[in-house]
Amino acid sequence: MNMPTRPTTSTAAALVLLASSAATASAAERVVWWYEAANPDQQRHLAEVLVAPFNAQNPDHELTIDYRGNELNRQLRVAMLARSGPDVVMTPGPSYVASMAQAGQLLPLDDLAQKLGWNDRLLEVFLDLGRFEGRLYALPKTYETLGLFYNRRVFQEQGWTPPRTIAELEALAEAAMAAGMTPFGAGNSNWQGANEWHVTLVLNSVAGPEAVYQALTGEIPWTAAPFVEAIETLERWWDAGYFGDHYLSTHTEQAFGKVATGAAAMSPTGTWNFQYAPIYFDGIEDELGFTGFPSADGVAWPIYPLGIGTTLSISAATDNPEGSAAVLDYVFSQEFYTQINKVWQAEWNTPLRDLSGVELGDAVMPQYTQAMADLARAVDEQNYGYTSWTFLPPATNNYLIGGIEEVWFGRVTPAEYLERLDETFQRERAEGKVPLVPAR
Amino acid sequence: MYRLYLVPTLAINMAIILVPALLTVALAFFRWDGITEPVFVGLDNFRALGADRVFWTALRNNIVWTVIFLTVPIATGLLMAALLLRIRRGRTAFQLIFFLPVIIATVITARIWEGMIFHPQNGLFAWLAGFGIDLQNPLAQPATALYGVAVVDLWHWWGFLAVVFFAALRQVPAELIEVAQLEGATFFQLLRHVLLPSIMPTIALMAIMTVIWSFLVFDFIYILTEGGPAFSSEVLATYAYRKAFFDLQVGVAAAAALVISLFGIVATVFYLRIQAREGEL
Repeated sequence: MNMPTRPTTSTAAALVLLASSAATASAAERVVWWYEAANPDQQRHLAEVLVAPFNAQNPDHELTIDYRGNELNRQLRVAMLARSGPDVVMTPGPSYVASMAQAGQLLPLDDLAQKLGWNDRLLEVFLDLGRFEGRLYALPKTYETLGLFYNRRVFQEQGWTPPRTIAELEALAEAAMAAGMTPFGAGNSNWQGANEWHVTLVLNSVAGPEAVYQALTGEIPWTAAPFVEAIETLERWWDAGYFGDHYLSTHTEQAFGKVATGAAAMSPTGTWNFQYAPIYFDGIEDELGFTGFPSADGVAWPIYPLGIGTTLSISAATDNPEGSAAVLDYVFSQEFYTQINKVWQAEWNTPLRDLSGVELGDAVMPQYTQAMADLARAVDEQNYGYTSWTFLPPATNNYLIGGIEEVWFGRVTPAEYLERLDETFQRERAEGKVPLVPAR
Repeated sequence: MYRLYLVPTLAINMAIILVPALLTVALAFFRWDGITEPVFVGLDNFRALGADRVFWTALRNNIVWTVIFLTVPIATGLLMAALLLRIRRGRTAFQLIFFLPVIIATVITARIWEGMIFHPQNGLFAWLAGFGIDLQNPLAQPATALYGVAVVDLWHWWGFLAVVFFAALRQVPAELIEVAQLEGATFFQLLRHVLLPSIMPTIALMAIMTVIWSFLVFDFIYILTEGGPAFSSEVLATYAYRKAFFDLQVGVAAAAALVISLFGIVATVFYLRIQAREGEL
């Protein structure tokens, strides 16, 4: 083999090119975003719709998404404590933001919000949820609600109409059982947290959002009569078999699928399930129905509990605050909203005030668009409820999830359950752990 | 000068064992959410443990777990090891089969039992239901959840003990066994009067380790039930984990961890005393 003793012209040119591209690459400052679990398709969507266009539009910054799986929260807390970790901080909800802000681990976003126009671009109530002691620390990545999924074809065949009151719901559940169906397609085998969806629904639709607001702000205890009635209602449904025989062995996605097959009459769950609609309602999209959860006497209908699954912040320890802000600015743009929602529905419902420039076409189910429009109107009219994972502090919410099983299995009474819930809530409230609750 | 050789080992041990252990002890006296500044609260975390019925459920479950694992797998392991001693052909194959569950990742074993055996809609239990044998998923009932998880862990564990005991039995002098057989001892007499006394130190070590491991048990319970339903299968390790990472009460979690360590220390002291006594004989 003849080895050149000196670089040839072409080799020299290649080296120059290599050096210049390396210089370009090093000129771009990295922005690291630790992301939760995402399947390969979802990772591909983010690479194509977020990372590639952002990096192309922002040559000074290079966004890197680091997938951390279900342990993100644990890893994040250790890393933040050590003043390391990602630039873009993704937390599981406002209650975590409060603790991190309290510890000085997050960058206040007020100046950025002013400079980049986030105050005008995002719905005010969601900005309020990201505030701690008057300063803005987090923006909600998506907002969601709970309601009642049902199968329109099954309802038509059975001559049922979607229930609006608790009495109608119970009558329909009994009819469903008589017809050999499980009234509620529900399960928690993969996610014990599914219990909180049912508790949230009865707290808001039986006790009412006003009572929940009063409890969250410390005006009344969680042991008050409306909450006892709410938990007793949930206990009654469990005892009556509305949740079926296999609630603890059923996967949440499998539970949603039961509505499509007609094995379950309804599914009381969240709008994030619209992302499974293309799988379970493939070719029968029109059969999927979604409505507000029925309300008790004296409570308005529908009440949509407002939920934020994830928040985005900037680490106080970031070396690249400008790049991190640019990432948030891109995420909360109409351009990104349009592109991501075409490929990944119900996960990126960023709270943009103006969606007039968003054209989703046939990519999104009209039922989903309608559900989110209903929620936006409810928020606008101050007629929304409160999801436990957004408004309750961590230990209270953890007990709300595990403790309801004690009620279902007869180990404690609803009153005892609420007593311990209140005790935990009052302790966390005294420690300043309760997220901010926007005034009604 | 030769003592300098100890420095690297001591440094590593201090960094990864002593310092975290001391920090855990210290944290048990602080209120800390893992994020903000810790606040000294004295014995409050221990009082909180004492007042929490879930903690007592967890402690009771750890004791039940210890009793199960001190008896079932040790007895099964001993019996199978003694039977292995009696056969000449296929010993290696049997040891391999017995040991196989030990080398399968915990999460895989757990998922197989949960989804392919216990599951009432698509597992073995669902198939049996087709023949009129209606079995409830043990993991979904508060009364049976702990035992359901124990079955999975027992399946995964007893083979390890069988192989360890078999290795110990092979060290028993052959002449002892031959004499017993010449005297006309039955299999169970041989086991009772020759084999078991000969491997008693191994059995004692495994029993002590079982106590320590039983108070550290976490993985199978967390994967299969997360301590539920209704906290019925909660053990101290899942309780501490829940407190630290869900409730953000790291101080209470550290106090629970100290309780776990206490049982481990008692078991270790007990073992050391047995060893010392044997040394004196």
